[in-house]
Amino acid sequence: MRVLLVEDDVDLSRQLKGALSDAGYAVDHAADGEDAHFLGDTEPYDVVVLDLGLPKIDGVSVLERWRRDGKTTPVLILTARGAWSDKVSGFDAGADDYLTKPFHTEELLARLRALLRRSAGIASATLTCGGLRLDPRAARANVNGEPLRLTSLEYRLLHYLMMHQGRVISRTELVEHLYDQDFDRDSNTIEVFVGRLRKKIGPDRIETVRGLGYRLTPLAGEAEAA
Amino acid sequence: MTTEPVESQPVAASWTRWLGRPGRSLTRRLIWLASAWIVVALTLTGMVLTSQFEESGLRRLGGVLGTTVDEVLLATRSGATGVTTAQIQDSRTLRQLSGKYWAVAELTPDGRLVMLSRSVSLWDAEMPTPFELPEMLADARGKTISYNARGPADEPLRVAASVKSLTGQANPIVFFAAIDRSNIDQDTDAFARVTWIALALLGAGLVAAVFTQVQIGLRPLYGLRNEIAAVRKGEAARIERAYPIEIQPLADQVNRLLAHNQEVVERQRTHVGNLAHALKTPLSVMLAEAGSQPGLLPDVVRRQSEIMKGQVDHHLRRARAAARAQGLGERTPLGEVLDELAVMLERVFETKGVEVDWRAPDELGFRGERQDLQEILGNLMENACKWCGRRVRVSAGPTGLGQMVVVVEDDGPGLPADRYEEVLKRGARLDEDAPGSGLGLSIVDDLVKAYGGRVTLARSDMGGLKVLLELPAAEV
Repeated sequence: MRVLLVEDDVDLSRQLKGALSDAGYAVDHAADGEDAHFLGDTEPYDVVVLDLGLPKIDGVSVLERWRRDGKTTPVLILTARGAWSDKVSGFDAGADDYLTKPFHTEELLARLRALLRRSAGIASATLTCGGLRLDPRAARANVNGEPLRLTSLEYRLLHYLMMHQGRVISRTELVEHLYDQDFDRDSNTIEVFVGRLRKKIGPDRIETVRGLGYRLTPLAGEAEAA
Repeated sequence: MTTEPVESQPVAASWTRWLGRPGRSLTRRLIWLASAWIVVALTLTGMVLTSQFEESGLRRLGGVLGTTVDEVLLATRSGATGVTTAQIQDSRTLRQLSGKYWAVAELTPDGRLVMLSRSVSLWDAEMPTPFELPEMLADARGKTISYNARGPADEPLRVAASVKSLTGQANPIVFFAAIDRSNIDQDTDAFARVTWIALALLGAGLVAAVFTQVQIGLRPLYGLRNEIAAVRKGEAARIERAYPIEIQPLADQVNRLLAHNQEVVERQRTHVGNLAHALKTPLSVMLAEAGSQPGLLPDVVRRQSEIMKGQVDHHLRRARAAARAQGLGERTPLGEVLDELAVMLERVFETKGVEVDWRAPDELGFRGERQDLQEILGNLMENACKWCGRRVRVSAGPTGLGQMVVVVEDDGPGLPADRYEEVLKRGARLDEDAPGSGLGLSIVDDLVKAYGGRVTLARSDMGGLKVLLELPAAEV
């Protein structure tokens, strides 16, 4: 497993490098944003540990560039401030996990193992519907290349609709497929989630068929392009 | 301005304020000044008007009296035997106690008046003469003098006295004419009454006008005060309305002050963040280095680093809370923050398969800074994700009065009720076995308190811990 460690503090880098090597990783180290971006762009890493406070280019920008270039390598960000706004902006940029400094080395190793397990999930084909793309492997979706930020319920709803695109799906069917047995099965909540999903993917992609349910279709212009 | 916490002062309420509180009220000062001036001016006016009216009445009487004196003079014969005066042909002077009288007297050198003849109307009464009349006559040097007196029927009289030197008489002769002046008095009284009533009404009207004027004139000040109160309560970010040119500079200065405050808050926050950044990486290094080696020294270093970390966290939080206490007019959409946190935490806890179900009305917002709401909910939701079985539920709703309740609960093992108080205290940690940050409940408690809210812990019907937050709400 190759890991890219991006950290500008000399001592912390030395420690983490040692700990990662001991845990069996092949470690590359970058001390500033430029190096990090270059390495991440050229080398096929399995996972990246990225400090957000970096010289030259900050961590969030580096991450944004990778994601824009289509890199899906899982990234764990290290934040020093511990402020949730930093974590949130890191996630918006495409991070997969975070760790707040100071942390225990074992915690970092445990998180990396979890990230690697996750990204090694069962591969399956990407679903598309017009400008919508959903990657079940990474559990990620985007619309016209813009990453979508979805909660798991919204993701499952979109996934189900995309698997059955073009078909009218009743609320009952959705409730049955989206919720565990012990969830409060209130079909009204489906409306809430469809509403939220429409806000995120655009209002016209999910059509309400009165009395029957919902149908996902590509937008008029997109159908030909796809 | 006043220092008591008056939130808003409608115009009508300043009545009681004006009447009830002496001293520092502008309204009161303006109204008192205007009222004093109005009262003085109107009183003087009233006095001048009534005296003018009375004088013109008396002048009219003076004319009548002058004629009578002339008539008496004509009816007077001066001879060696003395002065004799025939009755003049005026019916009123011939009727007893008619109210019109005349008399002729001789002014002796020793200053006494010796009555020579009188009108029939006087009957056997004397023409009333004041004690100092001789001196007055001397001072008048031949001019007619007038005075008021009481007549024989106790009626008010206007008397004219004129000194003449008659040929053949050694002593000057004084001719008196008197007429009842009760008509004039009544007229004057009636005039005075009407005048005073009219002036009093005018005065009251003017005071009311001044009052209204002051109220309307000062209304922008009340408006400004309400806006400033709104800023202090966090309902507005700055003074928005346009004000009259006299107080617009004040509003501008207040805005500048607010902007400056905001800047100071921002700067402080940046400093605080930088300090955190600067301290936390070295602490990380010390912790890791000490953790990797056995022995007494590494143990001490690790323990002390943990304490330092706690202290740094606590004091940074305190500084942020202090900076925040003057946070102004921010509002943050609740749904947005819940959504981004839900998305992020579900990803972080993906291996565990955590589902975060959040419900909040679209228009519900938090009256405070986004960062703080992220901090509060981030800590609570992360905690719930950490301890839940698979499900975390966040629900929120307004409770009226500008407040809302946010409930964060999970289906984990929960917490015994006797530990609720303890975990809200600073430094208490529930996850001693789990590495990384603590429960974060004390951070949440600090922050919520800084916003005047409340954190309550309870057992959720999902099985786990239920955290109820009361926070200031705003529409977004």
